[in-house]
Amino acid sequence: MTATVTAPARRRGFSRKAVLPWLFLAPGLLLALVFKFLPMGKGIWLSFFKVRPFLGDKWVGLDNYTRVLGDHRFQDAVGHTLVLGVGISLGAILVGFLLALLLEGQARSLKLVRTAVFLPVVTATAVVGELWRLMYYPTSDGLINNALGFLGIGPTQFLDNPGTALWATMVMGIWMGAPYNMVIILAGLAGVDRSLYEAAAMDGVSLWQRLRYITLPAIRPALGIVLTLAAIRGLRVFTEVYVLTFGGPAGSTEVWMTRAYTLGFTRNDIGGASAASVVLLCVTLLLTVTVNHLRKRGDVR
Amino acid sequence: MGDRRRSRRLAAALAAAGLALGTAACGSGSGSAGSGDPKTLEVWTRSNPDSAATYDRVFAAFTKKTGIRIDYQPVVNFDQQLQSRASTKDLPDVMINDTALMGSYQSQGLLKPIDPASITGHGQITAKSWSSTVGIDGRHYGIPYSRQAQTLMIRKDWLHKLGLRAPTTWQELLTVAKAFADRDPDGDGKKDTYGMVAPGSAMNGYTAWWGANFLWQGGANIIEKDGSGYRPAMDSAAAVRTVTWMKDNLFCGDNGVLQPGAVSAITGTATDFQDGNAGMYLTGPYNITTFDTTPGKARYEVVPAPAGPAGNDVLADGENVYFGARTGKTAQERALAAFLISAEGQKIAMTSVGGHQPVVRIPTNSTLDAAKVRGDARWSVVQKAYETASEQFPNAPDFAPIKQDTADSLNAIFTYCGSDVRSGLKELNDTLAGDLKDQDLLK
Repeated sequence: MTATVTAPARRRGFSRKAVLPWLFLAPGLLLALVFKFLPMGKGIWLSFFKVRPFLGDKWVGLDNYTRVLGDHRFQDAVGHTLVLGVGISLGAILVGFLLALLLEGQARSLKLVRTAVFLPVVTATAVVGELWRLMYYPTSDGLINNALGFLGIGPTQFLDNPGTALWATMVMGIWMGAPYNMVIILAGLAGVDRSLYEAAAMDGVSLWQRLRYITLPAIRPALGIVLTLAAIRGLRVFTEVYVLTFGGPAGSTEVWMTRAYTLGFTRNDIGGASAASVVLLCVTLLLTVTVNHLRKRGDVR
Repeated sequence: MGDRRRSRRLAAALAAAGLALGTAACGSGSGSAGSGDPKTLEVWTRSNPDSAATYDRVFAAFTKKTGIRIDYQPVVNFDQQLQSRASTKDLPDVMINDTALMGSYQSQGLLKPIDPASITGHGQITAKSWSSTVGIDGRHYGIPYSRQAQTLMIRKDWLHKLGLRAPTTWQELLTVAKAFADRDPDGDGKKDTYGMVAPGSAMNGYTAWWGANFLWQGGANIIEKDGSGYRPAMDSAAAVRTVTWMKDNLFCGDNGVLQPGAVSAITGTATDFQDGNAGMYLTGPYNITTFDTTPGKARYEVVPAPAGPAGNDVLADGENVYFGARTGKTAQERALAAFLISAEGQKIAMTSVGGHQPVVRIPTNSTLDAAKVRGDARWSVVQKAYETASEQFPNAPDFAPIKQDTADSLNAIFTYCGSDVRSGLKELNDTLAGDLKDQDLLK
C-alpha cells in the first residue's frame, strides 16, 4: 500500500494537503452537524407541519407562521423582547466597560476582585434566579427592600407588579452579562498604548476627553466583538425570564422564547413553536449580519 | 514511512469521526433495554428519585409474583421525553401519569383502549373512578391507580393561640386569614405572618389548578359538557361572582390575607406554610409528608376545604395506568395493571419505607381505607373529600391548553386589581371556545 501510493501521491499532494485539515476537523464538525445543524434543519422542517410524533406529521404549509405572527400574545411579546434584549445588551456593555476601567491593572488584589466579579457568569442561571428572587422578596425581609427601608422607601413588589417586573428582570440580566463583557473589554484595554495616556496627561486633557479620544477608539475591536455577541444573544433572551418570572405576572415579562416554550411544551404545538423559533432565527441572523456590516464599514473608514 | 504515518493519522481521524457518529446514533435510538423481550415490560412513571424508590418496591413485588421483569424508568420531564419516544414509534409498554393528561395522550394516538373487564380485579374499583377514564369516543383509556383531593392544611397552634376554630365557610376563611396576618399568631412581636398560601402564577397553569377549588365552591365551571361536545362556561354569572370574590378578598383585599408575591408564586417557591410564615394552605395530601417535618406534625391539622355558596367541592386528581399504543404485550400489561390495582399492590405503594414518598395517595381499590393502611386518621379527611366533595378536570378533551389559558386570564385579573372581571372572563371564554374548536369539540 505505502509503496504503490508514493508516485500518484505527489501529484495529488496539494489536494490531500487541503483535505487533511478537514479530516482533523471532522469529529468536531460531525458533532456540530449532529447536535446543532441537523436539529436546526429538523426544526425548520417541522415548522411547516402539524406535528404529531406518533400519528405522523401533517403538512400545513405556512399555516404555523401565519398563526404565530397573527397571535396577539406573540405580538405583545415582541415589545417585551426588544426592551429586555436591548436593555440587557446595552446595560451589560456599559456596566462591563465601567467594571473594566475600574479593575484594569496588574495588582494581585485586582486579580482577586476580577475573579469575584466574574462569578455571576459561571454560576448556573437557575441559582442566580433563586438568589435574585430572594433579594427581590416583596417585604422588608428581602435584601433590596431592607436596604430601601433604610432610605425610608417602603417595600416594592419588584416581581409581582407588572410595571416593574420587566425592569427587575433586566437588572438581573445585566448583572449576569456584564462581567463577560468586562473580560473582553479588559483584553482590549491591555492593548492601549500607555504613551498616549502620558501624552494626554501632559496636554492636560479631562477624564472624559481621555475616554472619548483615546480609550474608546483603541478598544474598538473589543467593542465590535461585544456588540456582535449582543446582537446574537439579545433577542433570544429566555433563561433570565424562565428562572425569575416565567412571563408573569399577567404576561408582563412574556418574551418571544417563553411564548414559544409554552406553545411547544405546555400546549403540545411543536409545529407552532418551531415556526416561532425560525422567525427568531431569521431576525437574529439579519441583525448579526447588519451589525457585522456596520462594523466592517467602520473599520475601513 | 511518512505515508504510513499519514495514513495512520487519517485512520485515527476517521475512527474519531466514526465514534462521533456512533454515539449520535445511539442517542437517537430507543435506548430501551430489551424492548423486544416478551418477559420484560418497560414502565415509565413521572417521578423524582424519592417516589421512584417506592415504585421500585412495587415492581420488585410484581416480578417476584409473576416472573415478568420490569425495566423501570422514572422520568421527571415526562412529556418532553414521551414526545421524543413517540417520534421513534416505540412507546413504553406501561405509563403511570396524571389523570388530566389522558385526553391529550389519546388525541395523539399514544394510548391503547382498555376494556375494564379484561383487568383482573376490576370490580374493586368503583364505577365513579372508572368513569373518570372514559375518552371522547366512549372507550376507556386508563386504569385508575391513585386519587387525591385537596384539603386545607391549617396551623393548629395558631388557631389555639388566637382562640379561633378552623374555618368552614369562605367568610370564616377570611376572618381566620386576617387574624393570622394581624394578631401575631407566632408571638414574635413582629407583623410577619400571612393568612394563606396561594400559588397564583400562570406557569404550568397553577392559578387555574389552585383556583379551580374556589370556582367549584362558587358554582362555576371552566367548561361544561354539551351533548357530545363541550362549551366554555367562564362567562357565567357564577364565574363572574366567584372570580370577583377571589380578586376583591384574596388578591386585592387586605394586605396579608395571602402571602406576599402570590401572583408570581408556583408550588415550588410558595414555601410560606413550611417556613412558618403562613397559616393555611389549600393543597394536595402529598404535602403531608413534607409538612410533618416542617412546620411539624403536631403544629397543623388537615381539615375539609371551607364551603362557598355552592358547597365545598375541591379539585381531585391523581394518576392512571396507561398502556402505550402498539406495544404488543397486552397480556403482560394487563397482569401488571391487575397487580397495581390489587389490594396487595396498592398497599405497598401506600406505605413509606425509609422516609420515601408513597405513590398511591387515596387507593382506587375500594376494599382499602387510606387512614387504616397508613394508621393516620388525617387521611380519612382526604378520602372523604375525594369521595363526597370533589371534582376532576374534564380529561376526555386535551385539557392542557384550556387550563393554561384559564390560568393566564385569572393571573391577569388578579394582578390588575382595577381590571374589569366581567370583560376579562368574556375574553377568556372566547379563547376557550377557540381551544375547543381546535379539538373539534365545540358544539
